[in-house]
Amino acid sequence: MKNTTLAIAFVSPALIFLLAVLGWPLVQAAILSFQDVGVIGSEGHFIGLGNYATILGGAGFWQALGRSIVWVLSNAVVQTILALATALVLNQKFPGVRIARTWIILTWIVPTVVVVIIWRWLLSSSGGIINPLLIQAGAIDRPVGFFATRESAMATLIMINSWRWFPFTTLMMLAGLTRIPGDLYEAARVDGAGTFQRFKRITWPLLQPTLMVLGVVGTLLSFNVFDVIWLLTAGGPAGATQTLPVLIYETAFKGYRLSQAATISVLTTILLMGFAFFATRAMAAAEADR
Amino acid sequence: MGLTRILTLAGFAATLLAGTAYAEPVNLTLWHMEQPPHRVQRMKELLDEFNAAHPDIQVKQEPQSWGEIYAKAPAAFAAGNGPDLLFTIPDFTTVLKGIDAVVPVDDLVKDLDAKHGFVKATLAPYQYDDHVWAVPAYNMAISLWYRNSVLKAAGVEVPKTWSQWQAAAEKLSTDGKSGIGLPANKQLYTDQTVYSFMVNSGAADIYNADGSIAFDKPETVKAYDFYSKLAKLSPADNGTWTWGEAEACFANSTCGMILQFGVINTYDTQAEGDAADLGVAPVPHADDQSESATISYSNAIMLTTKDEAKQKAAKVFLTWLLEPANYGRFLTMEPGLFLPVTDDGAKADSFWNDKTVTKYKSQVETMIANSHTGKLFGFTTGKVFPSIGAISAQNVIAETLQHIVVDGQSAGDAVKAGQGRMSEVAKK
Amino acid sequence: MRRTLGQSLSLYGGLLLIALVIGLPFWWVLTGSIKLPKEIIQRVPTMVPQSFTLQHFEKLLQASDFPVYLLNSMVVALFSTAFTVLLALPAAYAFFRMEFPGRNALYKTILLAYAFPGVVVLIPLYGLFAKVGLIDSPVALVIVNVAFALPFSIWMMRSFLSSVPREIEEAAVVDGAPTLTILVRILMPLIAPGIASVAIFAFISSWTEYLFASVLIVSDARRTIPVGFAGIIGQYQIDWGLLLAGATAAIIPVVILFALVGRWFVSGLTDGAVK
Repeated sequence: MKNTTLAIAFVSPALIFLLAVLGWPLVQAAILSFQDVGVIGSEGHFIGLGNYATILGGAGFWQALGRSIVWVLSNAVVQTILALATALVLNQKFPGVRIARTWIILTWIVPTVVVVIIWRWLLSSSGGIINPLLIQAGAIDRPVGFFATRESAMATLIMINSWRWFPFTTLMMLAGLTRIPGDLYEAARVDGAGTFQRFKRITWPLLQPTLMVLGVVGTLLSFNVFDVIWLLTAGGPAGATQTLPVLIYETAFKGYRLSQAATISVLTTILLMGFAFFATRAMAAAEADR
Repeated sequence: MGLTRILTLAGFAATLLAGTAYAEPVNLTLWHMEQPPHRVQRMKELLDEFNAAHPDIQVKQEPQSWGEIYAKAPAAFAAGNGPDLLFTIPDFTTVLKGIDAVVPVDDLVKDLDAKHGFVKATLAPYQYDDHVWAVPAYNMAISLWYRNSVLKAAGVEVPKTWSQWQAAAEKLSTDGKSGIGLPANKQLYTDQTVYSFMVNSGAADIYNADGSIAFDKPETVKAYDFYSKLAKLSPADNGTWTWGEAEACFANSTCGMILQFGVINTYDTQAEGDAADLGVAPVPHADDQSESATISYSNAIMLTTKDEAKQKAAKVFLTWLLEPANYGRFLTMEPGLFLPVTDDGAKADSFWNDKTVTKYKSQVETMIANSHTGKLFGFTTGKVFPSIGAISAQNVIAETLQHIVVDGQSAGDAVKAGQGRMSEVAKK
Repeated sequence: MRRTLGQSLSLYGGLLLIALVIGLPFWWVLTGSIKLPKEIIQRVPTMVPQSFTLQHFEKLLQASDFPVYLLNSMVVALFSTAFTVLLALPAAYAFFRMEFPGRNALYKTILLAYAFPGVVVLIPLYGLFAKVGLIDSPVALVIVNVAFALPFSIWMMRSFLSSVPREIEEAAVVDGAPTLTILVRILMPLIAPGIASVAIFAFISSWTEYLFASVLIVSDARRTIPVGFAGIIGQYQIDWGLLLAGATAAIIPVVILFALVGRWFVSGLTDGAVK
């Protein structure tokens, strides 16, 4: 339907709102990044690109970026596998399928702070259940510290974050799966294609558009996860889980270098925008191919 | 008549005049970080009482959390909607002083000191740059906690030196139990326990007189080295510990000993609650030292309003709060944890009559005695440098420990890196 | 169609595994909240409670304003939901059913909103809200929540809108109905499940938001559930019983709500767009 004026009238409230609430603060952050403000509320002077030189020249930013990439990729892999497997199970017909599909989402409707407390308690050695369970199962012979080494701290955080998010991803995939016409499978069955063949030839390719969008939005969302990490490890042990959002928060509110935090913010936003730009272009290209 | 006397009288007259001129009560907003429900409740009782007795002043509380206050308070002051009174710990005061949000309270503290006698160790961390920046409110100091029965069963004496301590911890580590529970989290609690080792090996000062960092020295290395040895005997999940996990570990008898400000409440409600069996002692000292010291946190209240009428009202409130008849009830909002900062407060019936304090009288007495030997990193030399705020907030002391227990660095290397990190934080 | 034994086994085995992974943590929290303090921190935890007490809930209700937090969360979430839907619906319609210059670019720009880390926006927004007097106001939370829920909500509407046959609108246009009428009278009922999904998405996003609520809200009487819950954690001491009771109290209302409307969310997502 063509009616440009009306279309603009429809789009502009949302657009103006987003620009005011998200765009404007970004401009503020950009201005801050050229100054030398320390504690919030103190005065600053224009110092040009000094902060950018400091941040890009130091190791902290690059290390945090590396951890962020590990964080995003691992979350994507873990969540995609869990969600796809779960979605395939829930896409079948069985008694109680509605209930299962509804309550799968339980982990996502709980506030993050509560999720954090739940896991801190489950993993603790005083009253936590995970250690005794693993000991009983023979996986370990004495309680382990899930946040005791660099690798296990990161892995544990990824598992907890995935636990919270994979049901949501599952539902999005389920939505994609139900949109695949059933007669395609029937036709394939008639052709004698097995379960795996049907998955490979029908499910996987037709799920691509959903996976693409989930991939882009999911990447941005999980990149920006802050509260789970902050409340569980505060970026530790020894900086092992200090991703970029944690670094920004820490620099601003713990290191009292607001302008440097703003600089990291601007750099991060540029990176994410670049990613989103190319990803959406790739998405459009992939869609055009079909 | 001295000049101050005259000024005080003039101030008094002004208050009277102001009181008659404005019929409207002065409203004060108090932010504190004592968020657990029962503490808020006790605070409410006290405020209600004060407000009823002072119709011209209305104080209302708004509990905040330590987790966010470092971000929230500066933002609030910058936006012009900060509180009039704000609870604090020494490093937090340096941050707010840096943005000119804190008003000195020299005269008030002088008056209150004459009246009640402040414990020196609680006042020192707020006395610098020619002023006093906050009124001490309660003290907390780390002690060593244990069970008499457990030590006796293992044939162990209460350790006084580090070698005795290590022997005791090793002896108490049996069949799935930990001889000692020490945190290794990147968190304030770990800063505190590590520093309580440092003060006991002669490494209390982390600044030189000129403000350069004095962290990297043999005494510090010794403290870290010993800490990491004992941390090996601690439960494996100590990397996420805050105060609560340590207490739980002690309460359910998994940990033989812990370093903690207070465990009385938890011990009383979640463990045996046998007052005679609960042991508390000073933190052991290095073998070459002669006396034990500890870390103490003097919690205080800052005046953060520029409005003169409000400042006066706030002083009336603080004076009222430190009156022994009220002060004890303020302290026992968390009985067995918050310790008096004044001499007459330490004798106040309102403090000792509390049910829990009465039951654990001897333990509380030991805690108070320990608190008098308390020091705090960055506030030991009488000169305070602004960078302590960032060093403290970023938990550099705890992070240095993590490099030893997580990355397997030697104590010497880690402390050297810690010195570098602190110097980096300190330079603008 | 009948399943082979192997297929059945993998189906029900899979279901059981999912149920355990999602359900067990909640089971321990719920049962933990009614155990005596001593049992909660016992060295060998119990699967089934050996003790029963309501003391943690009593303490929670007595000493903290949980019902108030609950009400605040509800109000903020409901308003956030309403405004998200009000803004998302016309925008989504324009993006996916209309043509106008710059449509694609604008659509992408909106998804780019997720490139802003919440942490980045926090400080400038605080300053902005302070200037217009919105600190400590639920309005500020509604604004932030809508901003973060909006882009994804618009995307969620896409599949619903594209599932409505074009002919319906075209017929209406031929009849001379103005576009707004088409949107409200004809399209709305068809995409109702989609609107329900978006609404629930916005509601939950708001319900779980912590970072902004913790900084923008100052007074106790205006706190939302996540911030109120974080408040009972407390420095220096942890009362696990109280925390577990708080966790339970924070979970149950939204579970009840979800029991009532949850199927709309799921069926909205999965069934609505099949045709």
